Amino acid sequence: METPVQNSIPQRDPALVMRLNRIGSMHQCRLSFMRVLTRRLAKENWSFARPVFDVDAKGVGHAVYTATGPVRTYSLVAFAHDLPPEMRSDRVIATAWDATFTLFDGMPTAEDIERLSKNVPYQEAGRVNEKSLSVSRANRSVRLWEYMVDALSKGEQPDAAKVASVGYLMRTTAVYGSGKLGAADHETIADRPEFDAPFQAEMLSVFLTRAFVRDMINHLAHARGGDQATELAPEIAHGLGIGNSTGLGMAPFLINHPVLLNNWVAAREEAIARVRSLNTVTEAQANLFRSLFARVQVLVKAWRSEHPVQIKKLDALKADLDQIASRLNNDDLTADAPWDRLLNWTSEALSEEGQELIASLILEPYGDLVDNLSSAMSDHRPDAFRILGSMSVAALRDLMRGTYGWALETDWSAQENCARAWYVSEEKLEPRLGERFEEPIADYEQPLAPGRDVARAFENLKTWDASTPIAEFLLKHPEHRHSIRRVQINACAPYSEIQDNTICADMMPIDMLRYKLATFGATHFDPRSDRWVRICMFGNAPYPEELTNENADFWVYPDGEGRT
Amino acid sequence: MSYALNEVEALAKRAVRGAGMSWGTAEEAAKATCWLCRNRIDGAGVLSALLRQNAGKGEQDLRPVATTGLWQTADGGPLCPLLSGATLSDCAVALKDAPITMRNLSFPLLLLPFLASAAAQLGCTLTLECDAGAGSTDGNELALSGEGFLQVKSADVVIRIGDFSGKTLSQDSRATPAPEAWDTLNTYAHKTYAPATEASRLAGAGAGLSDND
Repeated sequence: METPVQNSIPQRDPALVMRLNRIGSMHQCRLSFMRVLTRRLAKENWSFARPVFDVDAKGVGHAVYTATGPVRTYSLVAFAHDLPPEMRSDRVIATAWDATFTLFDGMPTAEDIERLSKNVPYQEAGRVNEKSLSVSRANRSVRLWEYMVDALSKGEQPDAAKVASVGYLMRTTAVYGSGKLGAADHETIADRPEFDAPFQAEMLSVFLTRAFVRDMINHLAHARGGDQATELAPEIAHGLGIGNSTGLGMAPFLINHPVLLNNWVAAREEAIARVRSLNTVTEAQANLFRSLFARVQVLVKAWRSEHPVQIKKLDALKADLDQIASRLNNDDLTADAPWDRLLNWTSEALSEEGQELIASLILEPYGDLVDNLSSAMSDHRPDAFRILGSMSVAALRDLMRGTYGWALETDWSAQENCARAWYVSEEKLEPRLGERFEEPIADYEQPLAPGRDVARAFENLKTWDASTPIAEFLLKHPEHRHSIRRVQINACAPYSEIQDNTICADMMPIDMLRYKLATFGATHFDPRSDRWVRICMFGNAPYPEELTNENADFWVYPDGEGRT
Repeated sequence: MSYALNEVEALAKRAVRGAGMSWGTAEEAAKATCWLCRNRIDGAGVLSALLRQNAGKGEQDLRPVATTGLWQTADGGPLCPLLSGATLSDCAVALKDAPITMRNLSFPLLLLPFLASAAAQLGCTLTLECDAGAGSTDGNELALSGEGFLQVKSADVVIRIGDFSGKTLSQDSRATPAPEAWDTLNTYAHKTYAPATEASRLAGAGAGLSDND
């Protein structure tokens, strides 16, 4: 690894970065968790196998996919079901799915499979133990599944354009990790190098799920067509990712894990600052950037959405790409801090979609300079949770005036500024967002409006002497503990807080979902309403058995090394 | 049944909130419950017993009035270990000057995780003593002494800088709460859940376009 010199360009201001509009315009980058995973699997020469594929002609059965690294083996245990169409729903309230999965720590025995078969298919209604690292489920794409089984069974390849218009054969509707449904806590596996970066177990399960789904379509086509059937052509299979439907649950996650949010944002911002600080760029690096810019245009061109907000953003992004292309024609990108110049220009000339796309793209030629930041994206600081009781009231107020200045100036008595309330429904305990003044939900409100709550604490602090330790205030006002904690965390984790109103009338929860999913490495964001979104994961990636150091990195960009 | 500690934390947080305490207290109570479980103490059991005992009282009735002199509630009634513990962690530095005495403290076991927080801040071992026994922690490990200490429901206690004494407990990464305690926590947690309605099912989660295509 190159050791970075002191950055001459600082990280971007949290007040610029941590706005809903901007985090809702984020794009994947080298530090995205899917790409961290494939790079590691390739570098460490992990091997993959399918020791069990016991699925009948109707598509019912189970399969096991293993991934073996330098020290350990992990197994995706997949259960395939014959789901009546009327039961198929992506909503969290569903109770049955086309396929269900767990990522098993090690190689499961027959007894393990037997136990899992009685639990994993029921998801929230079942239980797993600490040998499971994730639990997930997926549904078939109605638009593609039967069409493709039919075509392949007749010995024909499906229409590539039709396949590309959906982008996946199955979409996961939940991937549960860390302790959910009895699975292992992340803390118990966090010391394994392969789980150094966040969400690696979940990403591995999806990576293996993609292979299972490809195998299922070939298996069912063969079961139907016999000798007449053909296998899905590799070039079409490569284009397919795993879809995902994500609902509101991800939004509270970001607010409830401020240190983690900070670390994710800070790692990318540090990477951007390191690259911007480079005064000169080699021709090879500039050429790599140009070639990936050409490929990202293909990715954006294939991005479809029916949601009016995303359509507008996509139009702006496409216009941005045209502008960037003409700028790149007039800049050889090798001298006078070219990346800094480029980013300065984007902040003046482009939409936030375009700005963030380029901010991610400039990192691509610099694996040696930025990839080590992925290990800083986990939360290694449980102590940050502890309130520093000796801090003075004056110091707290100063911190509040900084990050939360916008909130102190907001009129929280105006209905439009607190129109919404986050609550948990008793049904499957899922997070929901309601209308505070129209539904009886205020009594159940979750603490997911940090701005308002800090403003309340600030108001109560007004009558307190400046030199008083905050411990005294909190003794009398325990209702402000959660806010004081957040303010103190933010003092040492500057990107920990979304600096926007999370309960106002026009807030779009999909902005928070977009950020988290982009950080995972997702593409093709397709909001289906203001509060759930579909995406594609591992689209264009090599399949496990094809993974090499050559194709492990840039597969996300179409026509790249992931294609054979 | 064995539970992940994250499950314990999630349920404990909701239960404490459901019992009427503030969110910040609930966050710390949840971590405290996990800390006890990690040290093989029945955190869910002791938390559920505390919440039942606190029922009907607000935080202002259950907290120490002041942190000078004896720590006690306004009327001398049961002192909540969650509120006292959070304050103890906030004021840890005071232990450098003198021991802290708490009067009529409920379920002293639940104060131990907060002792751990204070000990970590001070970089030393802290000891809690009462008539039935003592607990000491350096922030991570926990040692207990005295038969019956695990069962203490209420006691006058003294917290001071000290040495490890008693038997150091082994640690675990899972919890096996008694079903009754788990049910009690679920009952309290349930008070934080809004009843499901068809309207909230559609609007609250954002039905939008078809989810089956």
